[in-house]
Amino acid sequence: MKCEICGRESTSRFCELHEMGYDNLLDRYEDWKKALNLTWTGYLRKVVMNPNTGLWAKEVAQELLSESSRNSQDPESHF
Amino acid sequence: MNSRTVLVLCEKPSASMRVAKALDDSGKPVARKIDGVPYYEARRRDRQLIIVSGLGHLYTVAPKIRDRDIYPVFDFHWQPRHLVEKGADQTKKWIELISRLSKDVSDFILATDYDIEGATLGYTILKYACGGKEEEAKRMKFSTLTTEELRESYMKLQSHIEFPIVEAGLCRHFVDAMYGINLSRAMTVAAKRWSRKYATLSTGRVQGPTLSFLVAREKEINSFVPTPFWKIKAKVQISGATYEVEYEKDSVTNFDEAKVIVKDCEGKPGEVTSVQTRRFQQAPPTPFDLGTLQSEAYSHFRYTPKRTANIAERLYLEALISYPRTSSQKLPPSINYKAILKSLSREPKYEKLASDLLNLKVLEPREGKKEDPAHPAVYPTGDLPERPLSPPERRIWELVARRFMAVFGETAVKSSVRVSLDIDGHRFYLRGRQILKEGWMRFYKPYIRAEEVILPHLEEGEEVEVVDVIREDRFTKPPSRHNPSSLLRKMEEVEIGTKATRADIIETLYKRRYIAEERILVTDLGFEITNVLSKHCPTVIAVDFTRDLEKRMEEIQNGKEKMERVIDRAVYQLKPALAEMKLREEEIGKELSEAVKKARMQQRIVGNCPVCRTGRLVILYSRRTGKRFIGCTNYFEGICKTSFPLPQRGTLKPLRRNCNGCGWPLIQVSARGKRPWTLCFNPDCPSKERKN
Repeated sequence: MKCEICGRESTSRFCELHEMGYDNLLDRYEDWKKALNLTWTGYLRKVVMNPNTGLWAKEVAQELLSESSRNSQDPESHF
Repeated sequence: MNSRTVLVLCEKPSASMRVAKALDDSGKPVARKIDGVPYYEARRRDRQLIIVSGLGHLYTVAPKIRDRDIYPVFDFHWQPRHLVEKGADQTKKWIELISRLSKDVSDFILATDYDIEGATLGYTILKYACGGKEEEAKRMKFSTLTTEELRESYMKLQSHIEFPIVEAGLCRHFVDAMYGINLSRAMTVAAKRWSRKYATLSTGRVQGPTLSFLVAREKEINSFVPTPFWKIKAKVQISGATYEVEYEKDSVTNFDEAKVIVKDCEGKPGEVTSVQTRRFQQAPPTPFDLGTLQSEAYSHFRYTPKRTANIAERLYLEALISYPRTSSQKLPPSINYKAILKSLSREPKYEKLASDLLNLKVLEPREGKKEDPAHPAVYPTGDLPERPLSPPERRIWELVARRFMAVFGETAVKSSVRVSLDIDGHRFYLRGRQILKEGWMRFYKPYIRAEEVILPHLEEGEEVEVVDVIREDRFTKPPSRHNPSSLLRKMEEVEIGTKATRADIIETLYKRRYIAEERILVTDLGFEITNVLSKHCPTVIAVDFTRDLEKRMEEIQNGKEKMERVIDRAVYQLKPALAEMKLREEEIGKELSEAVKKARMQQRIVGNCPVCRTGRLVILYSRRTGKRFIGCTNYFEGICKTSFPLPQRGTLKPLRRNCNGCGWPLIQVSARGKRPWTLCFNPDCPSKERKN
């Protein structure tokens, strides 16, 4: 299996490095929700624009955002 | 030469000149040269002295199997450096001269630096170049190259060289060579067999764990997700001056809460609810060991640890400071504090400071905990420079001199004030700080960053005007990147490497392109090297393992451990790791080759294409003419044909910054014998028009 972002060998959808970014994104969401009452996609957008966000976390957030926009355009995704 | 002739062996040519001058009765030894190698003839009472030096190490540990494609190799021996190292040809003449001079002398004295490297290099020269004189040689022990100390150490010769330290040194060289050569060969061979291209890939016993710290930090930074918080501040007016006060909570983690606080406080007066004053003392700093000197020099002058060590070494060789490669933070009375201060007072800048210290009833330095059995902390000898020092040399010398004076200074007294203000039920703090008595800070003034904030007199119940209430939007920050100085401190903290080798290891990581930039960034190649090692031989980059070896080597110095046992243990750990690497050579070769390819490509990227704006400009070579030029990566997609000519001589290095004139990326061109110059390859750059 290859990482969806960088193509490195991986055992899940992301490689070990992007998986670290993904885990941190999940962990930090609660803090952002408490602070600004954001939705998941709203949170991802903020994280992508933040200069303090690490490169891998940013790449994962971008991937998740484009995935969610793909899904919202795909009529089958509503079913 | 007669039978009363003594050969005095020093570490470096500049040290031999100083030793010769100090030991010669008239202070004027005869300088001679054979085949370009200098030595000195001196007379001390009834004895003729021949003073000669090495050129650092003249011998090195090398594997008996020279073929670089073969590993593992565990059979090592000491060899002249000129036989096994590229660029060490000069050392041959040194060995020949020492061998020749040693034939006509009756006694041998080792006068190399009194540390593990000095002892080891002296031992190997006495053993191999002088024909087995290591047992009979006597030893001069000194911490400065001043005439007085050198003469005294000659008068009080130690009956033999320090064998336990030599054994520890030999062991360190064997273990380091075994690790470095085997692991580097394993990686280089794997990559070469896979890609059929040669690239030097190296790692080592300390280099591997050091790189792994940086990789761990890089991972934290790259996967970091910030969280928002808010800081509340207010501006208050007291006696016509404006002061900034901070909300009692360092951070507010909810936006609505932060908004409410600001709204509550706006336009309301503040009332002083308490004034707390605290007096406290600040003891003088401790004397410099090499690590703290390197750290301080980085903090004030941005000198890398390696640069500071080199400058300090030069100052030592000119007898201006004591031996810098020390772990000690102690200054024993035997160095004669008064004499040093008296000598320093000859420098107009220090005249008043030194004489004030000399007027003290008792001169007692504040010392740190760290000790070094061989040398005291770094201190100025009191000798003044005989030549104009370069600005960096002067800075380090002054830093050492001022630090030395500061450690004898009195305790400084400071006060801090915390005024609590109530603004509509919310508590804010106004903070002030003041130096009440300078004490030692007088001596160390240029290197102290203490900003005073002096507050007006305030009393409980007093009302203050709140001019403004500010809400600052903040985000948590990722851990900061290491710089060479903080990395060195980290290595010290986890006890890997030695004071003499740490700075060199950091330099090697830069040279191998595993790391880049001052705020250290791990390159893809650095990542891949650590990845391969952690996957296939994790013990090799484990800090615990390296530290354990380090401790055992130290125990050899104290006579508690034997060299053979430590080497056996190292082989025991290394063998399975190398076997695993051999087994997975193909996989490792593929991973490393891809990383090397990527790293080489990265080195050739100049910047973004200013024409198509989507491609990247890279340095390319024409297949037809072999000439190099800059081209856009979009050429291969048929989108952009941008290209620019390049100078065909010298090495090129993309500077990763843009031209001030046109904003295009810049390149540095370095040609042999010429100063490197910066090239903007934009033919229409306005800066070129100005020049024309």
